[in-house]
Amino acid sequence: MNSTYDIPDSTDWLKTSLSAFEPLEAALRCQVCKDFYDTPMITTCSHTFCSLCIRRCLASDGKCPICRSSDQADKLRKNGAVQEIVDSFQAARPAALKLAREDVALREEHGAPKRMLKRKLDDTDLEEAEEQRPKQSRRTRSQNRVQDSSPPRLEVIDLDEDYEDDNGLVKCPVCNIRMKEESIWSHLDKCDGQSKPSSGRNSRSRSTPSVTNLLQRTPEKEPASALARLPQLNYSLLKENALRKKLQDLGIPALGSKQLLIKRHVEWGNLWNSNCDSARPRTKRELLKDLDTWERSQGGGAPNPAAVVMKKDFDGNGWATSNKSQFDELIANARRKRTPVEKVEMKEDAVDKMETTAAETREFYDNSNLHNDLRRPSEGNEDALSIIREKADQANLDGLTSRSIVNLASRANAHVNTVDEDVFLDAPRDEFIGNSLDSPLHN
Amino acid sequence: MASSSASKRLFKEYRGLASDPPEGIAAGPVTEDDMFLWEALIQGPEGTPFEGGIFPAELKFPKDYPLAPPSMRFLCDMWHPNVYPNGTVCISILHPPGDDPHQYEQASERWSPIQSVEKILISVMSMLAEPNDESPANVDAARMWRERRKEYERIVRENVKKGLGL
Repeated sequence: MNSTYDIPDSTDWLKTSLSAFEPLEAALRCQVCKDFYDTPMITTCSHTFCSLCIRRCLASDGKCPICRSSDQADKLRKNGAVQEIVDSFQAARPAALKLAREDVALREEHGAPKRMLKRKLDDTDLEEAEEQRPKQSRRTRSQNRVQDSSPPRLEVIDLDEDYEDDNGLVKCPVCNIRMKEESIWSHLDKCDGQSKPSSGRNSRSRSTPSVTNLLQRTPEKEPASALARLPQLNYSLLKENALRKKLQDLGIPALGSKQLLIKRHVEWGNLWNSNCDSARPRTKRELLKDLDTWERSQGGGAPNPAAVVMKKDFDGNGWATSNKSQFDELIANARRKRTPVEKVEMKEDAVDKMETTAAETREFYDNSNLHNDLRRPSEGNEDALSIIREKADQANLDGLTSRSIVNLASRANAHVNTVDEDVFLDAPRDEFIGNSLDSPLHN
Repeated sequence: MASSSASKRLFKEYRGLASDPPEGIAAGPVTEDDMFLWEALIQGPEGTPFEGGIFPAELKFPKDYPLAPPSMRFLCDMWHPNVYPNGTVCISILHPPGDDPHQYEQASERWSPIQSVEKILISVMSMLAEPNDESPANVDAARMWRERRKEYERIVRENVKKGLGL
């Protein structure tokens, strides 16, 4: 066993005296994430997955990963029994695994003394008791508990905070806090229901019984406040700005292309809705952290080929030299285009080119900006560009010379990038603007 | 440590493969800093011309694994109807269910998030033993396999020897 990585795995059981626990534990793990079920949900085709896993799968292709039949996220239902089994199993696991490992170690040392045989028998009992649980109805739970707790060594498990059972305790229907039956009436008089969300989130020992309760009191009521599920959106009907607004309203980042906005909204819906399913809901802050993790691995922060150019040590001059042939070609094309046109048209043409060149330049500067100042978000581009275009259009109407437009354009740039003024005075800019923009005028 | 659900799942698979490897298969990430690039070793199945060979391959995982399948490429010479000349493996389990360019694969045979590295490697092993020449990735190898089996097996054996440095 790989003790350096403390990740429990069903194969942990293989080399112990309880190797039959391997398939049991494997059955308690979600087939998508390979972890213990977290908020198990059952599909219409009767397959069970973690809420987040199945929501992600359905959002991606709308099919059950096991049988490939179509399903919808809003048809998912909680599988409370599985949650309870997983919780109890996880609570019992460390002690059981320790025993099963010690068993093997002892046997290797001393052969198989009588005492060990006896213990082996006990283990088998335990195994049976555990394995019966999924199959039997809840009615037998108390019997199992009696069995479980009868050998003294299993007291450890009973003492474990996760294994707190509902012995004689009743749950306040308002705040979900468990207490003795005698005290519930006096508590109810003054209960304000405030402690509910925190009790579910902070402590497993309290929330575990609430899962138990879920089984006893069906239909289960959704925790009321702020846990309304997000509806799915028809993204093709939404304009980019409307979608951006939606993301803003949800309090999640609203940057990036529409494609990215959609991906982010889908992931947020998955995170949010699976949190609504959870018996131990987490805070929005924690969900936002998850979204951030997603963002960095798959969303806008994910490394992509374009980002390679924007590396910290991006060499602007090197880029200019290595792509000189392309720039030259563009300049040559521009020259060729403008020769036959009349003077008035030429002016317009020049302004047009000015705009595109300004855009190119701008792009280039973004690279150098990133290189010089990583704090500057790329969203500034649009603003800068729109200012340039505005000025250019205006200039076009006013019949200004191209040169003054260049000035205006660079002033617009400088306006947006006041912090980086020095960057704009750098040599590469003169090279680019100089070469490409001077050309129409020099003739 | 913030790690994506993809790398978590890959770590779990690595963990499972390390403690309970299937026969004739070894696989793991090239470095533990990057869970998205694995190297695998597959033993040639017995009773086939690939017998005795050890075939290294690399697996590249997408960032949204396990929603999308990894890609697999043999790093040695591989003369096989379902392996492209550049080593890329072409079998149904590595194809997402959405697109079926060849229209011959059952959706149930294709990639699904419940598949795993282990299942891929086992499928590849059985692919070595029983090529599927319905949609060959290497047409020449497929024709040779169909029409001149002797010659096909000779090339395969030579590759096995080459791979072992003999």
